[in-house]
Amino acid sequence: MLRFWGHKLLQYGLVLLITLVINFSLPRLMPGSPLELLAGEDVGRLTTEERQEVMSRHALDQPVHQQFIIYLGQLGQGDLGYSYRQNRPVSTIIWERLPWTLLLTGSALVLSSIIGVIFGTLAAWRRGRFSDVGSMSLFIFLDSMPSFWLGMILVALFGARLRWFPVFGARTPFADYTGWAAVADVLHHLALPLLTLTLVTIAGLFLIIRYSTLETLGEQYITVARAKGLPERLIIFRHVLRNAMLPGITVFMLSLGYVVSGTTVIETVFAWPGLGRLMFEAVIQRDYPVLQATFMVVTVCVIIANFVADLLYPLADPRVRTEGRQ
Amino acid sequence: MSPKGMLKAIMKNRTGRIGIILLALIVFTAIFAPWLAPFDPYERVAQPFQHPSASHLLGTNDIGQDILSEMIWGTRISLSIGIIAAAIAITLGTAIGILSGYYRRWLDTILMRFVDVVLVIPFLPLMILLAAYLGPQLTNIIIVIGILTWAGPARVIRSQVLSIRELGYVQAARSLGGTDFKIMIRHILPGVMPIALAQFIRAVSTVILIESSLAFLGLGDPTAKSWGTVLYYAQTRGAFLTGAWVWWVLPPGLLITFTVLAFAFTGYTLEEILNPRLRSAGPHHRVFFNSEAVEKNRG
Repeated sequence: MLRFWGHKLLQYGLVLLITLVINFSLPRLMPGSPLELLAGEDVGRLTTEERQEVMSRHALDQPVHQQFIIYLGQLGQGDLGYSYRQNRPVSTIIWERLPWTLLLTGSALVLSSIIGVIFGTLAAWRRGRFSDVGSMSLFIFLDSMPSFWLGMILVALFGARLRWFPVFGARTPFADYTGWAAVADVLHHLALPLLTLTLVTIAGLFLIIRYSTLETLGEQYITVARAKGLPERLIIFRHVLRNAMLPGITVFMLSLGYVVSGTTVIETVFAWPGLGRLMFEAVIQRDYPVLQATFMVVTVCVIIANFVADLLYPLADPRVRTEGRQ
Repeated sequence: MSPKGMLKAIMKNRTGRIGIILLALIVFTAIFAPWLAPFDPYERVAQPFQHPSASHLLGTNDIGQDILSEMIWGTRISLSIGIIAAAIAITLGTAIGILSGYYRRWLDTILMRFVDVVLVIPFLPLMILLAAYLGPQLTNIIIVIGILTWAGPARVIRSQVLSIRELGYVQAARSLGGTDFKIMIRHILPGVMPIALAQFIRAVSTVILIESSLAFLGLGDPTAKSWGTVLYYAQTRGAFLTGAWVWWVLPPGLLITFTVLAFAFTGYTLEEILNPRLRSAGPHHRVFFNSEAVEKNRG
């Protein structure tokens, strides 16, 4: 157990370190002026004071290792840099965006897990029949689509054509809703991006749940349960699902990275004001400080989510608790 | 198994047959793009924003380029990016997988820990960051995708090496005093080639999806328009809010989807032929999950 956590902490520590090193070295190693790459702004457009500020903030006149230590120190204080494009500290910008991304990804993960588990189990139960083959073909097809394109099509159909849902943003501009009206407004805006993200993330979970359910159905204790005359529904819920869920948790964990990637492009389609859209805006405006900070915050979020999944896994599988993993 | 034998075995399988036929169509279009396309996709050949007509079957885009020609030439770009980047990834993955599985011990531990680390890093954000700094050139995009997608295949190939290295002929070569390098190149590498090929085919579909995402975010090379690049312009010009989505947004996405499916179908079938153990779980299951779910989830 101790070894397992040692391994995990080392892994996450290394991920974080690599992220930091990438962020630190990219602007300094790239051809061109590091001043420009660090500020994300034409050097010519910066005032002399601003230029001085960039120089001293990143300690560009000092040796590289000194720069790295200063960089770490600033991060440790929660200082993510300064966006000269927006004239605001990057951390302020990110804090504004983070809740929106968490709302979208969180609800998509919950929704796709529920649907994936239900459909996966049903498909395995009805193996080879139309409902199995049909749902599998559908999910594989969805899985092969570019997620942003699915979003565009949904907007075209349900947003522009049918006008059931708003086509961009997270709130109606200038509406000033309060209380429940504001919540309803956000949910109305959330519907399409949520649907898109959910549809593209279901497949992985569906397929693994279906497969592990099939495996579990072949186990002897299931045959025993059947022989005892237990109703099929009870067998599925009491005996099969519990075991079939385990690989699902692993895939859930691994989905996190995909969900994050998915949001980047889907938020762009829907102009959803989250981190993904922020990253797109930063690319277009060459706002490097924002781009870097977003990458780092996203990495930290993925690490935290992985860590939570590591904590949850032993709760779901008692065997891990006693034997220790691996 | 010879390449011919593999093709025959794939064609016997229904899923595999669909994959191969789609692949043949796509490759044909990519090779003969200059003859198939009615116009030069980089030339302004008509009024912008035209609806489909006899001379422009899919209409024209915001600056009057023929969309059908963009689609046909895009096949070439998307496919080349997919193949070259996947080749880089699989070469790296095979090398690391062989080293790791052959030497085992500390080298294996270090390399596989590194694979674990790479698998946690959120993929698309890192690529966006790198692509933004490196600039939107075709070669940069290919290299970035290539060097960031090797980790999954490396793990699969390593496990194959672990079993090959215990086989009689490898043991014989070792006891005859063959050097490690020679054994790895002469005996291990041919053994993992089929698995590496299956991994390569599947990697192409992953790469094509990733490339379309990068291009959609404005990080594609404007001088080499892929399907994703076309979608980027359709998005920035709001084509999906007007009736133009039918001929401007729908076709590139469908082409990406069917190309991804074509490669995925072929790859899965090949994998199943090479590893019959995967077939035991039933006629329809085809192990669409396996490492694919894991890998795709890193998208």
